[in-house]
Amino acid sequence: MKRIRLDRWATQIQPPRNPRLHLPPFSSETRAPRRELQQRQYQIQHQWQHQRRHAVTRRKASSAAAAQLEEAESAAPIPLDTSQDGDGAASPPQPQYAPSHRRAAQSAKLSALHARLALPSKLPLQTLARCLIDPSADPRPGYNNAPFALLGQDLLGYYTSEYLMCHYPRLPMPVLFAAQYAYVGSATLGAMRAEWGVEVVAAPGQEVDPGLLQLKRSVPGNAMLDGETRQLKDMPQARRLGSGRRNEEYNFRRGMSSRIVFDDQFGDLQSGLQPADAQPYPGAAISSPAADGAEAGSEQEQLALDTAASAPPPQPQSPEETHPTTVEQGSASFIRALAGALYLHAGSAASKTFHKDHVLSRQLPLHTLFHFTHPTRDLSRLCAREGFEPPVARLISETGRLSRTPVFVVGVYSGDDKLGEGAGSSLNEGRVRAAAAALRSWYLYSPPDSEVVLPSEVEGAAGTGRSKKQWKPQMVDIGEVIT
Amino acid sequence: MPLQALRTVAKPQNGVGAFILQCKRIDLHYCDWAGSSKGMNDFLRTTLPAFAKQNPSIELSVSPRPGRHPVIKGLYINGRQKAICVRNMESGEILRKVELLKAASGERLRRERRPVKSANESVRGVWDPFHGHKYRI
Repeated sequence: MKRIRLDRWATQIQPPRNPRLHLPPFSSETRAPRRELQQRQYQIQHQWQHQRRHAVTRRKASSAAAAQLEEAESAAPIPLDTSQDGDGAASPPQPQYAPSHRRAAQSAKLSALHARLALPSKLPLQTLARCLIDPSADPRPGYNNAPFALLGQDLLGYYTSEYLMCHYPRLPMPVLFAAQYAYVGSATLGAMRAEWGVEVVAAPGQEVDPGLLQLKRSVPGNAMLDGETRQLKDMPQARRLGSGRRNEEYNFRRGMSSRIVFDDQFGDLQSGLQPADAQPYPGAAISSPAADGAEAGSEQEQLALDTAASAPPPQPQSPEETHPTTVEQGSASFIRALAGALYLHAGSAASKTFHKDHVLSRQLPLHTLFHFTHPTRDLSRLCAREGFEPPVARLISETGRLSRTPVFVVGVYSGDDKLGEGAGSSLNEGRVRAAAAALRSWYLYSPPDSEVVLPSEVEGAAGTGRSKKQWKPQMVDIGEVIT
Repeated sequence: MPLQALRTVAKPQNGVGAFILQCKRIDLHYCDWAGSSKGMNDFLRTTLPAFAKQNPSIELSVSPRPGRHPVIKGLYINGRQKAICVRNMESGEILRKVELLKAASGERLRRERRPVKSANESVRGVWDPFHGHKYRI
């Protein structure tokens, strides 16, 4: 039987999950009491540390580096010392959280990642290690990547949106949302994490190598609960996301303008908002519907306001209480945190270079993002708006009209100018494809590169440098065709 | 609704912006007793520190494998591994093998039948009978 390698437990990549995996029900009774669990983990950690130390001295007995290493090892206290935590309140054995900063400097994986991404030396290894820790692994805001990710998400979104808007001023809003998602959305960032060679741990912990992405993984939807015959995804306990809009309970249509105002940079619902039918937490400032008399109503209000601690729902205090996330969301928050950390440590130029090297270098054919429903109608409205002659479809060439595989090449003309061309297996299909091609060529107009000046190139630190660019007002389009 | 959008993911182009070296880790195994590992032991003592300094993006791991031939294994970003047994090789040869591992992409060795791969369409377009001069008898 293979010897158990305690130092590799948490870092080993698990095999693919079994969808028939039976999980214990979500109740606290089945979990081991916390103190015993922590003591056991403490013993395991110590055991591992003693093993490791002895192995080191045996292997490097003759080398001069061994002396230095031993010094460093004896000087560095065991990571389980309680001196780390800021909250000095009499806490029980310290919960097993993120690795210490000393370990970040010793990790080969972390240094290799730093070099592989060619990160500037101004970004310390310790910050990179912190960027790899998701809030689900460690809820303390001073030790996870959530603050960096908040900044980095806005930075990446800003750089991407200004690039798209300045280079493609006529891009319609839905396509702009889709292009933004394609460049800096969570799916792309999840793929990017894999391309960088950053591995994800099976479970977070303090013994884990600092160079691995740590997050608490959510249970897959096709897992089965113990005692149930249905899979998790089929259980009727789905929570609806809140949308942050007024009158949300009436389920109004979420149109484009509404998405621009209320939703995030991809046009999706914001995460973390309570739905309208959620129960308020105890002590919430509720305004009662003064049905019987203003007196009773005002009394109730006062009571509620008095007892309101004006505090949001309690934050998770320990890793056991945090909400699990998916690998994709964890990867996205890592990369956003890296962008934010680069901005803070190395300046806006470094974060802009990061965006250009990793995001804008990716290839996105914008013409594949369009999906038209009535292109002929849209095109004729567009020509009317712009003052062109009404579009007319003409047959350019054809073959095989009476055969099984005809081809008709149709062009759409406004007067003598050909706006677009399309081929189809019927006359109507050719006409529709031609109109769609014409609309795409209109919306994908791009001004020459000499005319394009991005706002971030001239504002802030970039605007005062030696090689500053001269600002040119960028083209702002009237908008997409409304039909 | 006049216009809808289809979501997709932008494709990576390694090297266009940033270049990510595909080799992320090399494991070097040696043996103190076996004669086939003499060159490997010399390599580890003399040449490896300089190689590690020049290639900070590769995680190097040196560990003994007693009673076995020396072997070097490269782990790549696509998850694949390449192993080379360096028994009875001199230090210089082993360095060449390590450089070979470093320069590899991790993909299988296969014969490439198409000389050019591109995500863009041809610049001048592929010929079709519908545009251009029609053949008349």
